[in-house]
Amino acid sequence: MDGSMNEDWQENARMIVESARAVVPADGALDRVRKARFDGAGFDRAVMQQAAELGWPLMWIGEEAGGLGLGLRETCALMEVLGRGLVPEPVLSTMMAGALLQEALPETVMTGEAVILTAWQDVTGALDWQGGAKGDLLIGTKVNLRGAVEADLFAIVTDAGLAVVPRSAEGLTIETAETLDGGTMDRLHMTGVAADFLPCARVEAVLQDATLAHSAYLLGLADRALEITLDYLRVRKQFDRPIGSFQSLQHRATEMKIQLELTRAAIAATARRFDTGADAATRAAGAARCKLRAAELAMLVAREAVQMHGAMGITDEADIGLFVRKAMTEANLFGSPRQQRRMLATRLDQEEAA
Amino acid sequence: MTALPDYNAMSDAEFRRTVRTFVETNYPDIPRYSLSRLHWDEVKPWYMVLSEHGWICPTWPREHGGMGLNAGKHLILIEEFERFGAARVNDIGPVMLGPLLLKHGTEAQKAHFLPRILSGEDVWAQGYSEPGAGSDLAAVRCEAVLDGEEWVINGQKTWCTLGMDANWIFILARTDKTVKKQAGISFLLVPMDAQGVTIRNIENLELEAEFCEVFFNDVRVPADHIVGRVNDGWSVAKALLGHERVFIGAPRLSAAALSRLKRIAQRAGAWDDPVFRDRYVALQCDVLDLSDLFETYVDRLRDGREIGADVAMLKIFQSELYQRISELMIQVAAEDAGLRHAPEGDRQLHAAATYLSARPTTIFGGSTEIMRNVLAKAVLELPS
Repeated sequence: MDGSMNEDWQENARMIVESARAVVPADGALDRVRKARFDGAGFDRAVMQQAAELGWPLMWIGEEAGGLGLGLRETCALMEVLGRGLVPEPVLSTMMAGALLQEALPETVMTGEAVILTAWQDVTGALDWQGGAKGDLLIGTKVNLRGAVEADLFAIVTDAGLAVVPRSAEGLTIETAETLDGGTMDRLHMTGVAADFLPCARVEAVLQDATLAHSAYLLGLADRALEITLDYLRVRKQFDRPIGSFQSLQHRATEMKIQLELTRAAIAATARRFDTGADAATRAAGAARCKLRAAELAMLVAREAVQMHGAMGITDEADIGLFVRKAMTEANLFGSPRQQRRMLATRLDQEEAA
Repeated sequence: MTALPDYNAMSDAEFRRTVRTFVETNYPDIPRYSLSRLHWDEVKPWYMVLSEHGWICPTWPREHGGMGLNAGKHLILIEEFERFGAARVNDIGPVMLGPLLLKHGTEAQKAHFLPRILSGEDVWAQGYSEPGAGSDLAAVRCEAVLDGEEWVINGQKTWCTLGMDANWIFILARTDKTVKKQAGISFLLVPMDAQGVTIRNIENLELEAEFCEVFFNDVRVPADHIVGRVNDGWSVAKALLGHERVFIGAPRLSAAALSRLKRIAQRAGAWDDPVFRDRYVALQCDVLDLSDLFETYVDRLRDGREIGADVAMLKIFQSELYQRISELMIQVAAEDAGLRHAPEGDRQLHAAATYLSARPTTIFGGSTEIMRNVLAKAVLELPS
């Protein structure tokens, strides 16, 4: 990679992060996020409209197909900002749809009139995506979509190819469940939905990209939660001293910081490898490693933040609770730490063979 | 010795090949991949080979007899030496004293001492810690009083790594008791054969004499055996090179331990155990993530950027990771963990050897607890 390309991605990332200010207040205010909770799908269509105007659904569509053609370094920079702001809108799911569909992404999604979500996962607790197609019909279930009840379209991933179907499609029903963060985690039940399948060879790659991007969201979430907690440690006084002067809390805070910087470094290095042409094995292991670290980080910071906030930490009125609930809802998407370790453990034998 | 080529001008790949060929060609008939430090009588042949080729002081400027390597090239040299399993030489002169003299020494001190480090004539020991001054190093009590043209030294130093091999020692001595403790310390150079110097070896948990205590009883050294000004020793001693602070957190120790863990697990029949693998892959991810973090610091060194107090994160995580790997080794070794001698005479397979050799890493070079204190204040800006 030469220097100019290096500068290119940094400049792109800077501009995207700047544009995210439209969605994430610079002062870290969470009023909008708090108000959007437990109200329908838990996200704001107007924000999705803004996201479309900023071109985010086109992030992973090649320039030749009319997209932005940006890489994982730029994506992770954006996702980190979204995570810091606990942005509840399903931006990543629409980016995945763009990456899978490329020039076939519906015009209405690009303009922001329609929200499209990617439905890939077959069952909770596993990363299989092949199910859902029988002949030329969609039959089966897709799980763990955030906010499907508010979506207009679904990009449904199957081993027969991709199908784009409207929420109102015949034979499609949505089973919704509220999540801790105030959104929903929904299932699509498909009992013979007529569909045209587009061939797609990129599913694994897009899932790896998304796994890495979601890790960056968790990184941003943890980074902001740690900042808030450190602020609290500096000002909260007991025994006439700021509690942040106590060594037991200081040492635990440093552990969070170390885990945070490990996560940041792993994501940055992995994104660079993705952008500069890593092989399939490197991509799979890299995404798993980042997701493992980021999920553990988010949960570590969440529980330490509650403890360090004392009784305030267990109230809903303190903002730190928003981070805890978001971490609990998001940390296991794209595979829990247990699943990532299982996957990596299985790969040990392949490493042996290689 | 002919002039050395400009190694920094080589591509990384070319330099790596050069180092690899050098070590494969020149490494003497002494142990490789030793888990414990070799003593001078064992490792001297390697020191002399490095000395003869001008490779003993990789980071010193070329005009002072070093290789003049930048941080990136130095890292490659270290990596290739470790890959080959080359023994670590007595390197306190090349790594610590040399750079200190280059920065703070007089012209006469440089002219006298640097060539003797390069040639292997002088082997140095470090005399910082005392029984009452470990993490609180500024509490040193070993005292030096100027008597005419001589310093008269009384007191004790301890934890002097390979001090029994050294013919010189540099010490932090109390030269003013009336001021703030950091402001009354001087940096002195003392020959180990001076009258009044005695040493006592200390066996470590592996029953090896890797360090010693040094006692000073009315030891007299010339007044000019001081580096920096009188009472300025604390700032002299603190000026460790930026890249040494980075390299102490390199993932190599942990990566090597992880590959030993794999061998031990395979030998113990635990390699296919999913309970073991769950723990193993978590450690493997730790090593890889540490490598990614380490690289960000190496990039900073390459770009000539400042290394801040946050670099302590590397050493904290690497040393604790090394220990966690060794702890899993002990579990995998099962009842054999308590055996004194290595299975099949192979120390690589000896879980206890790794476990014990991992213990000092969180204590020496800044204990984990002190480094976390520093991080909390200097990086997280938590109050005192």
